[in-house]
Amino acid sequence: MIQKKSLQWIAWVLILPVLLLRGFTTIYPIIKTVFNSFFDIKILSGVNEFAGLANYINIFQDPKVITTLKFTGIFVVISMLFHVVLGVGLALVLNMKFMGRRFLRTIVLIPWAMPSVVIGMAGKWAFNNDYGLINDFIRRFFPDFQLNWLINTGSARAAVIALDLWKDLPFFAILVLSGLQFISSDIYEAAKVDGADGLCSFRYITLPLIMRNVLTLCIPFTLWRLTSFDLVYSMTSGGPGEDTSLIAYRITMEAFTNLNVGYAAALAVLLFFVMGGFSWFNMRFMSKFED
Amino acid sequence: MKKKFVSMLLATTTACTMLAGCGNDGQGAVSGSTQSLDGQAESGAEESQKGDGEYDLTLYTINSTDADFPDWLANVEGATGLKINVVAAPTDSDTRQQKITTILSTGDSSIDILEINDEMSASFKNAGWLEGLNDTVMTEDIRGEFPQGYVADMITDKDGQIIGVPGYSGYLAFWVNQEIMDEVGIASLDTKEDFLAYMEAVSGDGRYGYGGSWEKTYVFNEIAQFVNMFGGDYLDWTNPANKEAMEFLHEMLEKGYTPIDQIADKYEQMNPKFNDGKYGSLFMWGLGTDYDKAGMLGADKIHMAMVPQFSDQKYIFTDSWSYVLNTASQNKDAAIKFLQYMASEEGMKASYEAFDRYPARKDVAEKVVPDTDPSKEIYSRYANECVVKGRPMLPQTMEFISAMGTIFQSYMKDEITVDEFCAKAQEYVETYQ
Repeated sequence: MIQKKSLQWIAWVLILPVLLLRGFTTIYPIIKTVFNSFFDIKILSGVNEFAGLANYINIFQDPKVITTLKFTGIFVVISMLFHVVLGVGLALVLNMKFMGRRFLRTIVLIPWAMPSVVIGMAGKWAFNNDYGLINDFIRRFFPDFQLNWLINTGSARAAVIALDLWKDLPFFAILVLSGLQFISSDIYEAAKVDGADGLCSFRYITLPLIMRNVLTLCIPFTLWRLTSFDLVYSMTSGGPGEDTSLIAYRITMEAFTNLNVGYAAALAVLLFFVMGGFSWFNMRFMSKFED
Repeated sequence: MKKKFVSMLLATTTACTMLAGCGNDGQGAVSGSTQSLDGQAESGAEESQKGDGEYDLTLYTINSTDADFPDWLANVEGATGLKINVVAAPTDSDTRQQKITTILSTGDSSIDILEINDEMSASFKNAGWLEGLNDTVMTEDIRGEFPQGYVADMITDKDGQIIGVPGYSGYLAFWVNQEIMDEVGIASLDTKEDFLAYMEAVSGDGRYGYGGSWEKTYVFNEIAQFVNMFGGDYLDWTNPANKEAMEFLHEMLEKGYTPIDQIADKYEQMNPKFNDGKYGSLFMWGLGTDYDKAGMLGADKIHMAMVPQFSDQKYIFTDSWSYVLNTASQNKDAAIKFLQYMASEEGMKASYEAFDRYPARKDVAEKVVPDTDPSKEIYSRYANECVVKGRPMLPQTMEFISAMGTIFQSYMKDEITVDEFCAKAQEYVETYQ
């Protein structure tokens, strides 16, 4: 009789092409990026010299990057906060029984299905003072309203976050909804018999039961926010100034427009560690939550 | 049973689709991302049967979306006998520059000829990625017919090699709305005083005497233009004329002659506003295609005018998109043949007729452009009456432009003073020089 262990090599041979491919397309670029981050590589000037930690030190002295890091933090925190609060709210609405529920569930996903670049370009026009539909709508109630959203730091940042929410929040809500649908109606009925009102049911039944689902969703959604690039690229080009520049956008600009490859690599490594740290923290939090 | 049948049908369809995709790829990696732009069904069908190897060269172009591009391509192919594979460049300027930079810096030989603008010329000309053309295309007999200042400043490398063939000659022209000029009773804007009088007369009730696109990379043209007009030097911010120019723009903003809203605007936002009569004047490249499309181009509507004289002389910038030859090209003979045609009278005529591109060679412009073309008169006036310059650019072009645009926006929003702006600008010049 052939031992199971002796056949394991077949499995390894079968997955070897995938492992090699994965190694070449993921592991090698990561190693190369870390390596590059210790070099001063400026393609246009033909510079390629070992720089030690200089690129990493420059990150915290570069006003463009500092502004970028600030906005990335603001963007991720505020956007995720609204994703959770409004996403759960929208999921609850979509879970209610009313006429046209199916239709609503379908159309809320339309923004999510559209490419970010298209949404960004549409957003640039939507928030325009003269031709934008946002101000056009506001002027129906306040005829003298004038605001070009994309020229001031606060309003431009708000516009970017709003557009990001408009695009991705429905998807978050639909995923929360899938968790909601696993909660048995018997539990709610039992709670009702015990005198629990809607708020109590939400606080003591719904929320604890969807919490794991929401926390799990927070990992990819936060990572997507951290690597978000296309929305800002097509909507504001990081402006006014660098006020709406996100870290992934800055990396792209440094790498492909300014051709400061070493500096871009250092920024990418920093982002890599931030993402890794966040994922580790979130998973620890989840396991503690389960305990 | 029914489920099994549907599953089998879906699996078969998926497999067929994937195989079809593979089959298409097999025709060549480039053809998947290229456009067969001959337009006509006949030639389109012919091309679809051709693989990569049957093309003589590959052209990376910004003009492929032009309605007349197929005619232009047919003309070039007919005249040169070359079969040209066309790859459309992205329309977004940042994306386009990133792609072209990647192609050239990685030694990608799949593209032979590219069209690059001044920003890219300034960045690439000394990087060794572009072939020198002095002995093959930009030979002495025709070199003198191109704008000399432009050729020297923008497309000549450190070894004196000309690396491109200018595809046209353009000016950052001064445009006015004649309807508004007639309304306020101002006939011409010859001096700074005329300009200010026009600003004052026009501005108010949501209308501005001057408009622009002050997005952080686009605003570079206007900063440099006003510095020029005041007799300053864009690469020397200790020059008092530079400061005067910036204060002038700031004052225009304060007095409501120009809007702060334009900080978010690129040309695609600026031009509709000009067409809609929100602006009385502006600086803009090209021959007014956007105004023409809106039915606003004409002597009695929107038209080019002479640049007002703010200091000792009238200043204007010229620009072009140049055809360049990738050093990594494997089809250099064909590419040189193409470039020779583009530098010839026939090639420039074809570009003028297809894309309304004003010929870069003055002898050709004289012959080819009819006297009825309104741009001919104003362009020859620009050439004769103004000091014509190439735009001041440094090797790290986009980084420099973006940094300058950022502090300009800050100054216009009163986040920094004019002295802080000038100090910072000088610092950037020294950093990126």
